[in-house]
Amino acid sequence: MSIIYDPLHDCKMVGALRAFHGISDSMTIIHGRNGCHCGALLLQTLSSEQNSVRVLFSGLKSSDEVYSGEERLASAIRLADRTFSPKAIAVLNCSAPAIMGEDVVGLQMLLKDEIRAKLIAMDAGGPEGPAWLGYEEALSRLVLQMSKGKGETSKGINLLGFKADDFCSQGDLFEMKTMLQDQDLFVNCVLSGSSFEQMQKAPQAELNVLLGGDGQECAKAMQEKFDIPYIAVPYPYGLKKSIQFVEMIAEAVGKQADPQILEKEKERTKKIVERAHMFFQGIYSTPVAVIGESGRAFDLAEFLSDELGMDVKLLAISSCNYSTSDMVDARDAPYEKLMVEPDRHDMNLALKDAGVSLIFGSSFEKRIASELSASLVRLSYPVLDQISLSNLPYAGFSGIASISESIINSILNRNKEEICA
Amino acid sequence: MQPDELDLITRDEAPILETMRSIYSAIPMHHLAAIHGKIAGAMVVANAIKDALPLIHGPVGCAFQRKLNPFTLSSTFYDSPCTNLNNVDVVYGAEEKLSRAIVESYEKYSPGLIIVITTCTTDLIGDDIPSAVLKAKEKVGCEVIYSTGDSVGKSRPVGIQDSLYAMADQLICREDVERNEGSVNLINSPTQRNANKLLEMADLLSQMNIKINKVCFDHTTTKDMLDLAKADLNVIGYRMSWAELMKKRMGTEYCQITGWHRYNQKKDPETISPYGLAGSTRVLKEIAQIMGKEGEAESVIEKSRTAVQLKLQSASKELQGLKVAVPVGFSLNLLKDIGVDVAALIYRTQTLTHGVTDRAIQEIERANLGLAEIYDYHPELLINPTPKEELESFKRLKIDLVVAPVKIAHFYNREGFRTVDVNEFAQTEMSVGFLPSLKLCRVFREAMGKVRVRSPLLDLMEFDEGISNLTPHWARIALSFHHLRSTKFSQSSYYHFHGLAGVALNEHNI
Repeated sequence: MSIIYDPLHDCKMVGALRAFHGISDSMTIIHGRNGCHCGALLLQTLSSEQNSVRVLFSGLKSSDEVYSGEERLASAIRLADRTFSPKAIAVLNCSAPAIMGEDVVGLQMLLKDEIRAKLIAMDAGGPEGPAWLGYEEALSRLVLQMSKGKGETSKGINLLGFKADDFCSQGDLFEMKTMLQDQDLFVNCVLSGSSFEQMQKAPQAELNVLLGGDGQECAKAMQEKFDIPYIAVPYPYGLKKSIQFVEMIAEAVGKQADPQILEKEKERTKKIVERAHMFFQGIYSTPVAVIGESGRAFDLAEFLSDELGMDVKLLAISSCNYSTSDMVDARDAPYEKLMVEPDRHDMNLALKDAGVSLIFGSSFEKRIASELSASLVRLSYPVLDQISLSNLPYAGFSGIASISESIINSILNRNKEEICA
Repeated sequence: MQPDELDLITRDEAPILETMRSIYSAIPMHHLAAIHGKIAGAMVVANAIKDALPLIHGPVGCAFQRKLNPFTLSSTFYDSPCTNLNNVDVVYGAEEKLSRAIVESYEKYSPGLIIVITTCTTDLIGDDIPSAVLKAKEKVGCEVIYSTGDSVGKSRPVGIQDSLYAMADQLICREDVERNEGSVNLINSPTQRNANKLLEMADLLSQMNIKINKVCFDHTTTKDMLDLAKADLNVIGYRMSWAELMKKRMGTEYCQITGWHRYNQKKDPETISPYGLAGSTRVLKEIAQIMGKEGEAESVIEKSRTAVQLKLQSASKELQGLKVAVPVGFSLNLLKDIGVDVAALIYRTQTLTHGVTDRAIQEIERANLGLAEIYDYHPELLINPTPKEELESFKRLKIDLVVAPVKIAHFYNREGFRTVDVNEFAQTEMSVGFLPSLKLCRVFREAMGKVRVRSPLLDLMEFDEGISNLTPHWARIALSFHHLRSTKFSQSSYYHFHGLAGVALNEHNI
């Protein structure tokens, strides 16, 4: 077995950060060395909205590794509380303090009555696991902050597995909410893409919906504590998966999706295809590769293969979730080759073998796309070199137009003279 | 070797590359709201050596996050293999794993050099890195070095300094070296990776019969690094611990062209800047003296300097007497050469207090004012002005041009002041030689041709009163960062922070 590993995914700390940072009025303190903080701050600054980056540093120094950094962390917590007045402060205990055995939970208890914000501390050392485990654990930590009044009626649904720093996430969320609203389904809370207060009211929902299977640990904890059932739905890329998304949720709450609305959406999609049908015809059978997180990439590959008729030569899952093994075992795979959390070097070799003209991936696939003269459509985390201000979605019925636009334009825009054979 | 035989990449950089760098310039890195950490610096060094491979001895996050290059966000470190440490490794150690990883890296990537970079995890568990590297070296056909960040004290940036030190310590300094007598190495920062700006200096030195052994860093290879040992002198831009080590171990002299050590010796303000006609003349003479070529140097310098002076007369005609506002730190020598009048000097000291003593802050002020006097400038010194004070002074002084980075240009443009951003010039053109003065003329002339008054959309936003390139939220993040890292930190010192928040803090010239 190979020892060296050039990862496609991050560590537990960043997974947890993605979960906590989605709480719009929270601050996250990175209790680790300055490199961890710098990386976390940069990832959020380049992939999120720049006016809402809320990442602080505890200021841990090498001398603190000898004498403990708990006092410094306590000061950082107080400072965050008084300067930013957040509703919650998440403390992520990174590799160095985790190995040192910093007692962040003890500190949490000690400062509980002193600070106004709710304090959530979590060990997130690099050696403890990958980002997706950090994301799952962090979401489940939020369950402890939730409450439900006696006799409160359950209404609406919660969307779990939402990641605010995914590319086009705001557009996707708006579209998903609209799709559900059209079916008289109300979104109670988004995890994590809500305020702290909204998050606390999550138990008022009658159903937890896991986007692409992300957030299962949290859903299980909420089921146990609040008796809320959950279902996993596909991430709604394309027509079929959008219909599936709506129908599955409606069915789970004892309703039937309105067929007239779905028919109307089909008609709308038809008109979109008609407007550029010659190009839709032209991209049919294009050899492509998809690289992305489990909660999105399987569904994207299926949309590309099933609805756009592309040949998915390679699907590389950059980061797993609890549903990955089920997805791997599924029949009628819409891809020729699957790699799960591969080494980047190995994946690049597979991409070269696959002979693809289009790669759906993250910013970190820029070099290999360039080497292969393939177009790169940025869809997967992290997208650090493209912004989305228009709030156009890639998901849902409305997303079909924008994702198709991006795909077709990524080919039309190329200057043939610049492409090496 | 003659300069034209140096095989330097003569990249005529497309304007988009400058824009690609500039677009990230408002992100408050570089000690403003974050510090890169040693791994990022070590990655820069590995990336600057064409056939080198970094091997990060740590967990996946240390490899994944470090793909981002915080020194230059427009570039990415695509290859960042790691040893993928887990909790079991933390308990039982990972030396064996590292040895095997080195061998595997060699087999997989076929590099000329593997740079093992340790992380806080491996530093804490106390892996015996030298032994693991030694063991693996027997099984690979390439060079292997390791950088732990422990060798260079507080020399910054630690990651860069330590990796270069490791390279000198474990690779360059050796006994069986065939010397290239009478030659020098010209060393640029590995963050720049384009040595074009050293070309004129190389040419001038060659004319003085001083051989150029190597120019780093520009498509530099491991062999080039090994060959550094052949030279008699290292010409370095700033203090580099590895050059000091080469002097100690191999007797290779070094000449550090920038730095306050020169000023401190005689308190002579003219020694502050090595650039422009005056600064370059001084540095070139000094190198010639070290190499025993004073005789040849005199005529070469005179000839080149006179030629540029003649060209400057016509090139700087329209800049003569132009009133400019300049942050303390930019070379007054160069401004003198192009004929502008430094009417205002802006000195922002607040963030300096985190790394520089109060006495040094005063000395910087004294030296710059002293130099201004020598050049017959009579600038108004604005120390930590508020935006309002700054604009009032500029209006009163009838400033024609403000030297300011693009990220704050909107602030001046809306008030009718043209700006010039000299960052790109400083990065790619400013060097010892006479041509940079001509190039600066072009930069200033272009700036004067730009629109004077604009109504930027950025003005719709609220910016912080103190740190005027940041929003109030980001200013608080930056101040929090500084406060929490402060050496004056104490448990209750967050109260002090609230006082600090009202203090003007600006980083225009950092």
